[in-house]
Amino acid sequence: MNTGFNFEEMARSINRRSFLKQSAYGLGGMALASLFSTYVLGGDAASSKAGLAGAIDPLHFPPKAKRVIHLCMAGGPSHLESFDWKPKLRELDGKAFPDSLTKGQQLAQLQNTVLKARGPFVDFSRHGESGQQISSLFPHIATLADRMCIIRSLHTEQINHDPAHAFMNSGSIIKGRPSMGSWLLYGLGSETDNLPGFVVLTSQGKDGAQPVSARQWSSGYLASKYQGILLQSRGEAVHYVGNPEGVCQSTQRQIVEEVSRLNGVLAEEKLDPEIQTRIAQYELAFRMQSSVPSLTDFSKEPKSVLEDYGIKEPGDGTFASNCLMARRLAERGVRFIQLYHRAWDHHREIEKNMPVAAKDVDQASAALVKDLEQRGLLEDTLVIWGGEFGRTPMGQGSGRDHHIKAFSIWMAGGGIKPGMTWGNTDELGYSYLPDGQEVDVHDLHATMLHLCGIDHKRLTVRYQGRDFRLTDVHGNVIRGICA
Amino acid sequence: MISRWTPRYECRWLAAGIMLILLPTTAMMRGESVKFNREILPILSANCFQCHGPDPKNRKGKLRLDVREEALAKKAFVPGKPEESELLKRLDSTDPEEHMPPPDTHKVLGQSQKNILKQWISEGAKYELHWSYTPVVRPPLPQAKEPKWAANPVDRFILQRLESLAIRPSPSANRATLLRRLSLDLTGLPPTPAEVAAFEKDKSSRAYEKQVDRLLSSLHFGERMAVPWLDAVRFADTVGYHGDQNQNVFPYRDYVIDSFNQNKPFNQFTIEQIAGDLLPNATPEQKTASGFNRLNMMTREGGAQPKEYLAKYAADRVRTVSTVWLGSTMACCECHDHKYDPFLTRDFYSMAAFFDDVQQWGVYNDYAYTPNPDLKGFDNDYPFPPELMVPNAYIARRDSLLHEKWAKTLLDSLSRLEKDKQTMDSFEQWKEQSKHFLERFPDGWEVALHPSVKLSGSPTNASLSVLDRGQLLVEGTGGAEKPEIQFELSPGRISAIRLEALPHPSHNASGLRTNVSIGKIGLSAVIKHQHGEEIKIEFHDSHATARMPVYANGQEIFDLSGNWKLPASAARNPQHAVYLLKDPIHAEPGDLMRITLSSQDLGCFRISTTPFAASDALKSGATAELAVALARPSRLQSTSDRQCLLESYFFSEAADVSSLAELRQIKRSIRECRNGTSPTLVTVSTNKLLVTRVLPRGNWQDESGEVLLPATPTFLPSEKHTGTNRITRLDLGRWLVSPENPLTARAFVNRLWKQTFGNGLSNQPEELGAQGEPPSHPELIDWLAAELIDSRWNVKHMVKLLVMSSTYQQDSRGRLELQEIDPANRLLARQNPRRLDAEFVRDNALVIAGLLDPEIGGPSAFPYQPSGYYANIQFPDRDYFASKNENQYRRGLYAHRQRTFLQPMLANFDAPAREECTVDRAVSNTPQQALTLLNDPSFVEAARVFAERILSSQETKTDQKRLDQAFRIALMRPAKAGEAESMLKLLDTQRRYYSENRGEADKLRTVGFHSTSPGLDAAEVAAWTGLTRVILNLHETITRY
Repeated sequence: MNTGFNFEEMARSINRRSFLKQSAYGLGGMALASLFSTYVLGGDAASSKAGLAGAIDPLHFPPKAKRVIHLCMAGGPSHLESFDWKPKLRELDGKAFPDSLTKGQQLAQLQNTVLKARGPFVDFSRHGESGQQISSLFPHIATLADRMCIIRSLHTEQINHDPAHAFMNSGSIIKGRPSMGSWLLYGLGSETDNLPGFVVLTSQGKDGAQPVSARQWSSGYLASKYQGILLQSRGEAVHYVGNPEGVCQSTQRQIVEEVSRLNGVLAEEKLDPEIQTRIAQYELAFRMQSSVPSLTDFSKEPKSVLEDYGIKEPGDGTFASNCLMARRLAERGVRFIQLYHRAWDHHREIEKNMPVAAKDVDQASAALVKDLEQRGLLEDTLVIWGGEFGRTPMGQGSGRDHHIKAFSIWMAGGGIKPGMTWGNTDELGYSYLPDGQEVDVHDLHATMLHLCGIDHKRLTVRYQGRDFRLTDVHGNVIRGICA
Repeated sequence: MISRWTPRYECRWLAAGIMLILLPTTAMMRGESVKFNREILPILSANCFQCHGPDPKNRKGKLRLDVREEALAKKAFVPGKPEESELLKRLDSTDPEEHMPPPDTHKVLGQSQKNILKQWISEGAKYELHWSYTPVVRPPLPQAKEPKWAANPVDRFILQRLESLAIRPSPSANRATLLRRLSLDLTGLPPTPAEVAAFEKDKSSRAYEKQVDRLLSSLHFGERMAVPWLDAVRFADTVGYHGDQNQNVFPYRDYVIDSFNQNKPFNQFTIEQIAGDLLPNATPEQKTASGFNRLNMMTREGGAQPKEYLAKYAADRVRTVSTVWLGSTMACCECHDHKYDPFLTRDFYSMAAFFDDVQQWGVYNDYAYTPNPDLKGFDNDYPFPPELMVPNAYIARRDSLLHEKWAKTLLDSLSRLEKDKQTMDSFEQWKEQSKHFLERFPDGWEVALHPSVKLSGSPTNASLSVLDRGQLLVEGTGGAEKPEIQFELSPGRISAIRLEALPHPSHNASGLRTNVSIGKIGLSAVIKHQHGEEIKIEFHDSHATARMPVYANGQEIFDLSGNWKLPASAARNPQHAVYLLKDPIHAEPGDLMRITLSSQDLGCFRISTTPFAASDALKSGATAELAVALARPSRLQSTSDRQCLLESYFFSEAADVSSLAELRQIKRSIRECRNGTSPTLVTVSTNKLLVTRVLPRGNWQDESGEVLLPATPTFLPSEKHTGTNRITRLDLGRWLVSPENPLTARAFVNRLWKQTFGNGLSNQPEELGAQGEPPSHPELIDWLAAELIDSRWNVKHMVKLLVMSSTYQQDSRGRLELQEIDPANRLLARQNPRRLDAEFVRDNALVIAGLLDPEIGGPSAFPYQPSGYYANIQFPDRDYFASKNENQYRRGLYAHRQRTFLQPMLANFDAPAREECTVDRAVSNTPQQALTLLNDPSFVEAARVFAERILSSQETKTDQKRLDQAFRIALMRPAKAGEAESMLKLLDTQRRYYSENRGEADKLRTVGFHSTSPGLDAAEVAAWTGLTRVILNLHETITRY
């Protein structure tokens, strides 16, 4: 909504305008960004603070994390072959699955079929001093055992991919609700003024891929400046960030300067505050044009780093390359970084395909955490690793179906208590146990916001006549996993 | 008519939180009495109703403040005695247990709010019915002191409020600004400089009204009005869930455009969409309108539960209908009674029950785990039934143009051939050879009588044998092995191949094998030349005498390139398929042809070849007409004989390769027009009604809830339903626009107001209930609602009324002296400047460039889009091909709407994804918008073509004049001195650069498909493109002032 203009801004604009008038083309060689910041905004303390301002200022609590990296294992990895060891299920392999557990429960592709237990096909062992149980599919992640917290009691409400992602991201399946990245950006603001504050990358495995919609990083009813920006794995990283064919950087700069100059003339005549914003957005756009190429230039990354992540060709669109990009984005102040690896929907041939998916992410996930740690970034970066749901302990032919009653994720960094496991499932890994350590998606959101210094009940936006929040009317901070 | 109003509902509330304009006008400041709706209800609603409102589940202490009697009974308010009122005591209590609102709600009342409450109680604590739920009664027109300015009724209300605050309205905008505003508001397109000049010259008193009438009768009016409507009804080209496949529904968009253009009364427009299919003798147009009920998102994901998705579809429909027509968010009621409004959970599900008859499937596929016998054979490429073939004006126009083009191209080509001596010699030879061929094969087809055959792969118990007359028989049980047939070709021309399916006793007198219900047959062929070389034969077209449709992502494939799908029912008679060779071959003695079929669904079949091709595959071989013409001696041949022979020669021998290619393309396009019709999603009413229950907390698995019949919301008045029949969607449609429903007219005029003035009178158009915003001019919104109803829902009348007002015509310049009093310009002492909606940002640039394709209606077009943008979509995998013809320059509202990945330009300018009903688009101002205008090929190309347009103009030769012309085209004004100076300097710099870097200038001209104007210097075009890019990027260009 147009909320009227501000006199200071107007006064500044007039100065800017007369400045631009004087400068004409005398400053043609000077980069626009420095032109604005040095001469126009230089004396203004408010605008020296980079990027978007946060809605929560001051924060409700001292923040433990300043940014979040969500490694989304899209498709729903099996918890039974990753972080939730169920020897009893192996004993029951091939036998009828107890009716008492499944009666009246929601099923996906197992609707109208006879349910049989499928034992885990891999072994687990204990890792680190904490002795956390991790499957043999994730040898690199296992080395993080003492740095991470495994949650085995997560559960969700949505059993199909699309709504489950929506629920995981926005706490609701109704379209038009902001995603958690947008909420975080809205609450905390941005630390960068030349990159988007919320960035998404996707990669795809050989098998088990499911589509992911752009609505998963939508800002919904929050302003569109809070939406996630999908970095393309090929071509231009950001849409329309490259100059048109036949337009060099100097010409582009002159065009942007001229647009702003003429907009400045208009501003004086119209008294329309949107014009000031427009001028600022052109400035930001031009900075993005300059900064994105350096963001995607991996040439300065040492070979050893590439090897740690297991990257063959930087920028090749693999999960490993995206992990390195995640670190680069974190270093540059991006608030919320979300990586989707579309590879985990193992209805069939799970024994063949899940190891492939695991191999695609294991090394790079671990490398990312260690790399962040080495650079001193892990202490204020919250890393979340997990899918939109888990998979059934019942077999579905050679695979497992979608499962919502329990699944596992892990978190590390920013304010997370390391080297612990939280929550439990029954002996067959079917359902979380209501032992006080159960976690739903809203709890996860509440905890993420808490670690970032925000009381989830007080991060609200008025829409359709009521105050909305990421956690709606739910959510409890999981104190037990907070350091 | 019996009203359902009862005293119980008489004290219901109202609304809203935003106090911007309330501040200067509160009763206390004016020394007036406090108004419940304007001042008290917002406080109670925001702070108290969560626990003491309509929802019984959350009610604390058995106290409700939304019903006066109950609040008084509990002494929350003691009329006239604030000091005895429990509520006021609690507000000031220092005991945290006593204090209200409870500290953990983080809600705190300010002193001024407490004072207002106190005053209101002193004055008797009177409640009012919430404004939007009261019957629509036309208030009297206020008297205004300036009758000239306030000639239009709208102005009286605006002026009354301004006068009460001693504010003068702004002067009228200048004519150029005014016409640009009016054109953009009524058509979404800017005026031409000539239109501006004519308006500026017109001294008549009706000059402005003439422009209004002209624009209201423009066919672009319907396009402009359609954009917000399509947002509201969530119109899109794809289904939205999971694979986000295409759905065929563009005729519905055309229906909306046409309806606004015909000025269809809004009540009729409403009824047709909700229940067009139920109207007596429903027309195709009315059935198309009923596609509205099919615009919810749909899924065909494997593993999705049909019941869950049916619940999602139902809830989506209720949210849409209630938001669009009732201006009320019923979404909350899916799980609980509304906390602030009298909507109940059962109202939500009773509304859903109206749609129980809509034929639909929870999951649009037939999976083993969720069987759907109706959808047997479906895959991800299938459309989403039910669809109806409907006539479509755009396609009919295109169809007839294509037919004309076909006839002309063929005629031109044949007459060229006739003039060429060499061709005519070979034509004579062809006739002789053809005659001989027909003597041996009278129907023009040479059957492969003695082919060698085998089943490739590893045959199990199946066999393939050659019977008499070239019949080939498959027998036994087999797996996936494929029939291979090889035979020697007779020397000469081969233009087409025929595959016959012949009924045979071994297969129960069918051409298909007994167990096959639908044959799926693919055919490929190679030619093996004598000296070893094998060449794959390509087909440009194919057709069959009987076939089932094959689809690619919802679109029918018109030839057999996917498969020949032959149903068993048709295979009881002989059927055949004909494949036309892309390049007709000439067989030498000893050449072999090998044909491979992709399945062994065929039981008995036969292969033939022919030298005679026709434009229509099934007319290949020798038609009777051709045989007669060939047999007749030359001197006795009629004109039509000769025409027939020439045509046959032309198509069989590929005598003119380039026209042939063009004709084949035209033919394909004609076929896509399907005689001027298109499939579209429609509502089909079935008697297999779904059962709608209250779903406790929205849980679709909980079947304990009460089964409900259709009903309108209980608290709103409606004609009493006395019959025993279940009421229908038609009843719902009629009720929505009935005089007793107070909401529809208010909701619609409020949105029209927003469209015209930038803000709604109540500025939350999706919520006119208690949590919405009290209207800035409550009497005006009621007056307009009454006018809409009394004008018989005349939409153009209402639009004209608004734009004819002096209020509308005011200058939009900001006024410093009003900054504090009215920062959001809700009093309308000036117009609001408004950034153009996404679609119109695009349209405006295309008009400025002279590129816009002004056609109305038709299928969606594909503007440029970054490559790989659909990489995350599957089932089926998706590619995007930008339209290469004039469709590239269609208006933004025709851009393909992919719900999961909205076209980035539209997304960047705040167009909604249309997954959910949207009646209030955001207006943001982001760096992505700057990047789009700077670098999106659509805008770079528009700038280049705009530059060429300026340079091609014969009238303007100097740089200054050209620059002025460019400004006039884009902004309806010449460049100001301060603008021209720097722009011309920029031109010099650019000129210098591009004359030294001509290669760069050439590259810039390659952006976009549009050809370059001949005779212009590339460097000059590039230099001017720099200027036109600046113009297209200006804030002024994308803003309607």
